[in-house]
Amino acid sequence: MLWYKAWRESQARFLLSACTIAGLCVVFVLFHSQGAASAYRSRTYVEYIWRIVYKGYLREIFALLALLLGVGGLRRERDYGTAGFTLTLPVSRLRLVSIRAAMGLSEIALLSFLPVIVIPALSPLVGQVYPWTQALEFGLLWAAGGSFLFVIGFLASILFAGEYTAAVVAVTVTLGYSVVADRPFVQRYVIDVHDLMSGTGTHHFQPDVFLLVGPLPSAALSIILLIVCSSVLLAGCITQRQDF
Amino acid sequence: MPKSYVIETHGLTKCYGSFEAVQSLSFRVSSQRITGFLGQNGAGKSTTIKMLLGMTHPTSGTGTILSRCITDAKANREARRDVAYVGEDKQLYGYMTVEQIVRFTKSFYPDWRSEIESRLLKQYRLPLDRKVKALSKGMRTKLALLLAFSRRPALLILDEPSEGLDPVSIEELLQALVMAAADGTSVFFSSHQIAEVERVAEHVSIIDRGKLVMDFSLDDMRQSYRRITAGFATQQLADRFQIHGIRKMQASGRQVTLLATDNADEIVEIVRSMEPVSIEVAPMSLREVFLETVRKGA
Repeated sequence: MLWYKAWRESQARFLLSACTIAGLCVVFVLFHSQGAASAYRSRTYVEYIWRIVYKGYLREIFALLALLLGVGGLRRERDYGTAGFTLTLPVSRLRLVSIRAAMGLSEIALLSFLPVIVIPALSPLVGQVYPWTQALEFGLLWAAGGSFLFVIGFLASILFAGEYTAAVVAVTVTLGYSVVADRPFVQRYVIDVHDLMSGTGTHHFQPDVFLLVGPLPSAALSIILLIVCSSVLLAGCITQRQDF
Repeated sequence: MPKSYVIETHGLTKCYGSFEAVQSLSFRVSSQRITGFLGQNGAGKSTTIKMLLGMTHPTSGTGTILSRCITDAKANREARRDVAYVGEDKQLYGYMTVEQIVRFTKSFYPDWRSEIESRLLKQYRLPLDRKVKALSKGMRTKLALLLAFSRRPALLILDEPSEGLDPVSIEELLQALVMAAADGTSVFFSSHQIAEVERVAEHVSIIDRGKLVMDFSLDDMRQSYRRITAGFATQQLADRFQIHGIRKMQASGRQVTLLATDNADEIVEIVRSMEPVSIEVAPMSLREVFLETVRKGA
């Protein structure tokens, strides 16, 4: 039933995020034939989708939604007065934290795969084709990048109390990270998840055709997976020591 | 048969920076009876309860709840299977309906008693399909009690249970506590409402500024605690009243007021031997004991 609780607590944010992402995908695909492609100086439909979805607006919106999905948990419950009820259930704090994290990461994965379904499925309606395999590969990159951003929000909400404080801290940290990760002297040491999600941060992206070619960057994906798991574990350890 | 205790603490201390919310608290709560935990606002009642339930970590000291160590997370979790807690604001998940939160809570307690759940749902007239956030505070309290009683806890802990309730709801709450105790549940509840503690509690622990200042049974209080007021022809020296059993002595002019917690008959005889002009012996109410105790610390 802790899964049910975690779902109910994130349900509204998840459904709103899903509607936003799916809705924008629909709009971007259907408006392609009405001059949108030329507005983005795209020569091909694949380039247009990459510029507006995987590199552009939708990725930025997805990043923000991933951060906000990470916010919540026991600190927020303390503000609402329900932490006492939750903490006196015969379950460990680590279990509470890990189930909330698992639910959030599952939601991130589902959000990542919405463009995978919507874009290739709707493209024929405007007389275009978008390869399913490309959409799937970008979906995997989004799931990894989204998980990384999710844990920033997740950790912020463990460390900072207050309705909006955690969200503001998470956004600020992410902006700071994005600026630092863009610096040339840091680029070779730090994974830029924004570039990873757009494909430009991988050697597999072909900028002339705007497609991913070859296998996915398994090293970068493994490092992100490690960071995500470590962050959830860290969040569990911090929560165990906190007073409510 | 040795007395069993559901709660025991030894030197329990909680500091927030330089502020000591609870100071070296050592006390015991006997099983199968109602114990009132009395104190002013900010006295340290909620902090103590939070430490007992593992919500807050003690700075020092230790304790047990149902014989399980409160500072050991695993043992505390085990103890919570048999402990029900009703918090001060009785907040429950507002996004769930009554039915959903009952089902949610039930899933954590294998010994859940469905017949108690059904009886209390009917008795409290809780609408199953209503969202918790749409319930009044009185209804939320009833729902919290239903969730607590349906699991048949060995120990029920309530933090300021009557806070914000109307007189009818308070009456129902107190009756529910008495019934729970009659069924063998040990009840420990914090309050600053003296009248309700005096009505239902069998034992009282008074905490003031984080320190346990008194711990007594209400039967003992009714039998042994006396206010002795004596008037003398001349002013008396305080030294004359250093007698076993006197908790507090107050002199105002030629009148002396003594609060005796023990040995009252002998104290009265000694005072009589001092040839007072007048002497009056009266039993003490919990209100008087509480006020004298916390004023003493002021």
